[in-house]
Amino acid sequence: MLTTVAAGRVFDYSHCIGMYSQSGQGFWTPQDFVLGKNGRVYVLSRGVEQLGQRVSKISLDHEFQGQFGSFGGEDGRFIWPRSIDVDQDGRVYVSDEFTNRISVFDAEGAFRFNWGRFGTDDGLLSGPSGIAFDSQDDLWVVDSLNHRVQRFAKTGGFKSNFGQQGTEDGSFEMPWGLCIDRNDDIYVADWGNNRVQKFSPDGKLLVKFEGTSNGLGSLKGPSGVAVDSEGDVYVTDWGNHRVQIYDADGRYITTLVGDAQEPSPWTQTYINANPEMIKARRRADMEPEWRFRRPVAVNVDADDRIVVLESYRHRLQIYNKLKDYQEHSLNL
Amino acid sequence: MPTKQDIALIAHLMRRAGFSEPRADLVARADKGYEAVVEELLHPEDQPPIDEELMYRILPGYEGALGPPISQADWMFRMVNTQRPLEEKIALFWHQMFATSNSKVDNPPEIGRQIAMFREYGLGKYGELLVELAKSPAMIFWLDNHGNHDGSINENWGRELLELFSLGVGNYTEDDIKSAARAFTGWTIAPKIPRNPLGRFFWNFEYKPEDHDDEEKTFLGHTGNLNGEDIMGIIVDQPASPRFLARHLYRFFVADEPDVSSWSSTPPNDPAAIEILVDAYNESHGDIRAILRVLFNSDFFKTSQFARVKSPAELIVGTVRMAGNYEGFRPGFNNLALECAWQGQELLNPPSVEGWHTGAAWIDAGALMRRVNFAAGVLGDISHPGVRAIVDRVQLQPNNSAQTMVAVCLDSIGPLQVSDTTLKELLSHALKGGELAWNTPEEISSSEDRVSKLLALIAASKDYQFA
Repeated sequence: MLTTVAAGRVFDYSHCIGMYSQSGQGFWTPQDFVLGKNGRVYVLSRGVEQLGQRVSKISLDHEFQGQFGSFGGEDGRFIWPRSIDVDQDGRVYVSDEFTNRISVFDAEGAFRFNWGRFGTDDGLLSGPSGIAFDSQDDLWVVDSLNHRVQRFAKTGGFKSNFGQQGTEDGSFEMPWGLCIDRNDDIYVADWGNNRVQKFSPDGKLLVKFEGTSNGLGSLKGPSGVAVDSEGDVYVTDWGNHRVQIYDADGRYITTLVGDAQEPSPWTQTYINANPEMIKARRRADMEPEWRFRRPVAVNVDADDRIVVLESYRHRLQIYNKLKDYQEHSLNL
Repeated sequence: MPTKQDIALIAHLMRRAGFSEPRADLVARADKGYEAVVEELLHPEDQPPIDEELMYRILPGYEGALGPPISQADWMFRMVNTQRPLEEKIALFWHQMFATSNSKVDNPPEIGRQIAMFREYGLGKYGELLVELAKSPAMIFWLDNHGNHDGSINENWGRELLELFSLGVGNYTEDDIKSAARAFTGWTIAPKIPRNPLGRFFWNFEYKPEDHDDEEKTFLGHTGNLNGEDIMGIIVDQPASPRFLARHLYRFFVADEPDVSSWSSTPPNDPAAIEILVDAYNESHGDIRAILRVLFNSDFFKTSQFARVKSPAELIVGTVRMAGNYEGFRPGFNNLALECAWQGQELLNPPSVEGWHTGAAWIDAGALMRRVNFAAGVLGDISHPGVRAIVDRVQLQPNNSAQTMVAVCLDSIGPLQVSDTTLKELLSHALKGGELAWNTPEEISSSEDRVSKLLALIAASKDYQFA
């Protein structure tokens, strides 16, 4: 459905951006993105093996503005990049699950410094994945293989942490992505426990987002989470190839499954250059192409536009949360 | 406590039914007893599978990969890290027998899906596997069955099904090929979403009744309105089927044999063994697990140690499993896949529908150099945990003689049986340095270096090339 109406909300599909590319315009197995200043979007590609790792600079209206970073263990390079965020000065931070580092770049992509090293003690990292800044400009890091969340000054000084491995409330099993709302509460995609948990900054569990006993709102390997201005929570349900939406109290609202029936301009250019492809696409059932495949990260912008990143399809799909939607008046 | 002979027999079993393993794993298996280990291997479903969700979380580019080396890397990861070694080995067996190549299919993940089908059906009933094979979109495209229509048949699939996949030359007629082709009209692929720029899309089998030849056909003496399933049912009951399959199984799991193309004129090296496998097929109605149970427990198998040249996949996977340098998730499985291709076995891309030529054909001057350099490079690197364990074992020996070092190293890589010539060379090399010493940091460093060089030398020997 291009327009999804549920529980007094309306989610209206807008457009998509992206395509596969090893370099340049496009992404390769992207893992995360951040909505930066002045309409700039940074998209983090993980690539595969020794190719494709980079940060792409784009706008949500299809402008490709360049890229930085590449494969490698040296400063400014990535091996298994996973998450990206920007601080209040506009600097760009990237986590790398393999090198256990947080790399810092200026807004245009010039490498500044990095911090982080492997270990299990406070402030050390094992497989750092999701990262997000709070209102104090402290960086929260999902320390995935240590099954906890840690807070750092943005230059790397350790401040606090919470969580441990387990299935009970407040524990984690290989947590993945996270987000922080305007109250500085922390939402953690608890991947191995098929739930999202919301915590206060001091680590007190506030709300859980997960399936009910009858399966409603269930999650399988959630990867990312975002909150809109009204407190609704969006979870990329990576293992089920969908986005689950809950209200602030954890009640399930509805599901988005992907609606990219029109290719993005980048994609369309590629298709137009291949007459055989046009021919094949006219014969095939194209629905699998519309739908989310491995949605891995989600963000909501200031206008409550919901932006979903698909790892497998190398693409962003954008939905508007309509506030002025009127039901059609004629009985059609 | 298992004897040295027990461990050697288990090592032989693992090289064939799986891949080479570190000595500690072999000892643990030998503790259970040979027949129990055979049963464990025959029931992979009792062991945990590769966690694909975890794999694709950490290695997301492997899923629906766009380039062949990445899908090959996906398989390499599984072979190296599986706890179900026979599941991967039987997939490798069927990939050799039902060779489907990316050179034409041009969709490595789709061939990967065929490999996954081999994992699922590969130890079951032969007839069911053949039906699944006929439905494999990669196979349909590879052998042109999507161009096989009612009234306008394409014989490619029907011909190869009989010649290379089931009966062998001389056991069918040209008319049987035509009838088989007619029976498989309408077995096709649904219109495909083209790859790029949004990644790969899997293909789907589609049966189109309006394109199926519904008329009467005669196939291997059976007449009726035959469909694809009927053809497979007739094939598996032919006396030639078990004989053909037995020879494939013998060649892959027991000892090198001539290539398939010569089987109609060249008798098997061990006709009695083939008869035993044929009997197992007939008694079990083509149950692959039952046939392999007979094979692995037979005397002809147990006495076939080092009678096969390792395929590149066996050499590479076995070597890194022993060295432990590719355990778990890490970058670089594509390098193993590329190495396999450079040694002459590009997974998912066999050279023809006949599969790879095996045995001595794996070895030419270029391939041998790569095999030696690879194995020596891995097993001579003391930073790898498996190699470190061998060095530690040498250090723990009650005497520090060069002879002991050679014996322990050979026992740890295999145990490897070497020829008198090789043993003489190894001892000659080892004796030059005299006894090992482990008292000072300098002595330890020197002794570790000598052990690692000896391991590299063993890995470079002719004897290491055999499974």
